[in-house]
Amino acid sequence: MLLLDYQNVLIESLLKDRLAGAAPTSIDQVVSDFDGVTFHISTPESKSKIQISIALRCFNELVKYGAQQVLEREYGPFIVPPEQGYDFSVSVDLDSLPPDQDARDDLVRRISLLKRNVMAAPFEQAFDEFKALQEEASKYTSESAPQGVMEGGEVRAIHYREEEAIYIKASHDRVTVIFSTRFSDETDRVFGKVFLQEFVDARRRAIQNAPQVLFRSDAPLELQNVPGVVSSGSGEIGYITFVLFPRHLTPQRREEVISHIQTFRDYFHYHIKASKAYIHSRMRKRTADFLQVLRRARPDSEEKERKTASGRTFRVQG
Amino acid sequence: MAPQTPAVVMDNGTGYTKLGFAGNDSPSFVFPTAIATKSQGGGGGGSGSGRPAVANKPSFLTGGAGPGSHLSGKRGTEDLDFFIGDEALAASAGPGYGLHYPIRHGQIENWDDMERFWSNSIFKYLRVEPEDHYFLLTEPASQYHLNYSAPLNPPENRENTAEIFFESFNCAGLYIAVQAVLALAASWTSSKVQDRSLTGTVIDSGEGVTHVIPVAEGYVIGSSIKSIPIAGRDITYFVQSLLRDRGEPDSSLKTAERIKEEYCYVCPDVVKEFSRFDMEPAERFKQHTVTYPNGKSVTVDVGYERFLAPEIFFNPEIYSSDFLTPLPNIVDMTIQQSPIDVRRGLYKNIVLSGGSTLYRQFGRRLQRDIKHLVDERIAASERRSGGAKSGGLEVQVIEHKRQRHGPWFGGSLLGQTPEFRSYCHTKAEYDEYGPSIVRRFALLGGPGST
Ligand SMILES: Nc1ncnc2c1ncn2[C@@H]1O[C@H](COP(=O)(O)OP(=O)(O)OP(=O)(O)O)[C@@H](O)[C@H]1O
Ligand SMILES: [Mg+2]
Repeated sequence: MLLLDYQNVLIESLLKDRLAGAAPTSIDQVVSDFDGVTFHISTPESKSKIQISIALRCFNELVKYGAQQVLEREYGPFIVPPEQGYDFSVSVDLDSLPPDQDARDDLVRRISLLKRNVMAAPFEQAFDEFKALQEEASKYTSESAPQGVMEGGEVRAIHYREEEAIYIKASHDRVTVIFSTRFSDETDRVFGKVFLQEFVDARRRAIQNAPQVLFRSDAPLELQNVPGVVSSGSGEIGYITFVLFPRHLTPQRREEVISHIQTFRDYFHYHIKASKAYIHSRMRKRTADFLQVLRRARPDSEEKERKTASGRTFRVQG
Repeated sequence: MAPQTPAVVMDNGTGYTKLGFAGNDSPSFVFPTAIATKSQGGGGGGSGSGRPAVANKPSFLTGGAGPGSHLSGKRGTEDLDFFIGDEALAASAGPGYGLHYPIRHGQIENWDDMERFWSNSIFKYLRVEPEDHYFLLTEPASQYHLNYSAPLNPPENRENTAEIFFESFNCAGLYIAVQAVLALAASWTSSKVQDRSLTGTVIDSGEGVTHVIPVAEGYVIGSSIKSIPIAGRDITYFVQSLLRDRGEPDSSLKTAERIKEEYCYVCPDVVKEFSRFDMEPAERFKQHTVTYPNGKSVTVDVGYERFLAPEIFFNPEIYSSDFLTPLPNIVDMTIQQSPIDVRRGLYKNIVLSGGSTLYRQFGRRLQRDIKHLVDERIAASERRSGGAKSGGLEVQVIEHKRQRHGPWFGGSLLGQTPEFRSYCHTKAEYDEYGPSIVRRFALLGGPGST
């Protein structure tokens, strides 16, 4: 189906091959990933030392929200000083790999999830904050709660694309994730609205467990005092709000929820594009049918117009 | 976009698709240009849909649609249920999926499949938002005058492509380059190439066809292009037939292809090569081990096919009874039919490109045989003119490290130049002028550009 992977397929397959013992060769690839991410996969020292570096436009923001700790936790012994022009680098030495297969598979998985993991930091932080607020709130009735507990924490803003951002806000009973997304194309905007309506309806219909989804073209309440947010939209910008309830925020589901919600924007745009492809294929089919009808309707002998070399036309009986 | 995103370079061949980013020296992904889709009853239109209907869906869902009522047949999500590349091969091995190759003889034949193939290539493999990137695509030479089956790449093909890239994908910009021109640019990495000229003869041999394409200053001389119906697939079949004749324990296409790629080479002289095999069997005969997923393995002997298989380029009669002209003669004829003032440049820069030019000694043999034809002609004309000496003609066949993915690599080189974007058509231009805008592109890497 049209689900997007969380990991980078190239890094995954390259590492898998090498760790499985494929002949060492030198690698030097600069590749993009979604959301303006750039990877550099290379073997700067020797063919058996693979270095993977990542550059993200929002790295400084992510560091503010705890990215460094997340990266330390995930990549500890593999971290090397960041390569020039990149934000973060890890290096895998093929000559000193963990001996057992499971540990190797885990390493491949971990590294191919580099983008996912670094971008998970603000979510993890917000989820932790939610837990703290929830505990704090349980001590009070809603009237007696002190400032800050009922309102929830600060909005974490991640400007991960040029004109698009993710905003995350934790409260004592929910985490709100807001995507601002920009449609440069009129058709896409229409498709986008249809899709979002589907999301909204899906929850109403049957999938009660799905997070609540709201869509609006002006900035939602949560973002009112956030710097850089234009409140009255030009129509090109839309705001999509996901409300994650405590059942989405349990330790067991956390990982998956973070992975999933991160890919929302790309998934959403992928679907819009795939739908256009689908419509196109129907249009092609229509045209083909139509041409067939026309061909059938054409009389057998038909006047053809021909041009002479000098450009004058003359008619021949076909 | 503050730091410029690299251009996406896609070379969709008959057999294999090469995908990657400009600036790299190899594609990030190389996989079969194949798509596996849910087999549908009726589903008119698509290529290869002559297969029988598979009842994988209750008939009330398809509304009992007869062939032709494609619209009512497509209600569900089977449109979104497909795989491409190696995953497509794997899926089609099981039940429920049909395998299709949307490109035939280098030309896109099924646009529905191709559009889905591209969308998956971009989102699932390359993982980019097409709005953020410029794209460089390749096409076979636009105007074919082939001496053997004559497919024409009509301008509509470009327009269809543009429609998909701009309307479905909203890509930022698009450039469509001719594969042969890119293959010439790729040869600039060879130390034998002194000037970065876009004049030369490209021999592009992939999976389906072998083209000989003369290019003068970046423009294909369409009327002299020749193609021969012998390429990778035929050589694989030939190897397979020899394995079968000997009753080898594994003579599958896959094994034949592996043996071809690993052991075959071009020899200078077939008769002498046979006697070499007889004199030093220990060195010449090989053994190839095939290991199966279940851990078992068999050993296949590899013999004369090592040099006989690629020999069909030079002596087609050992394989085919209706195509008999050796490749060196085709190259010579191609150049002879090109305008006289570019012939010297065409002989001097014969560039190899594509997977089926990788046989060891392929270039050397080709150079020797072409040189032989040229020298003979010169000698004949000297005799006729009663002893007047001509200066001779340099024949040079260029082999280089990037030959295998020549068109892709040429695209990567040109796509990373600072002026690349200014040669593209942009989404804004497309919206303003419509699809016909892609009928013309300024020549990238041509004279005047760096
Ligand atoms: N080392 C090798 N020696 C000989 N043949 C090879 C080698 N590597 C690949 N091939 C053959 O090259 C062919 C694929 O080449 P290529 O990728 O250039 O084709 P393509 O672009 O898909 O097809 P086309 O150019 O005909 O549209 C296959 O037949 C493959 O078996
Ligand atoms: Mg090709």
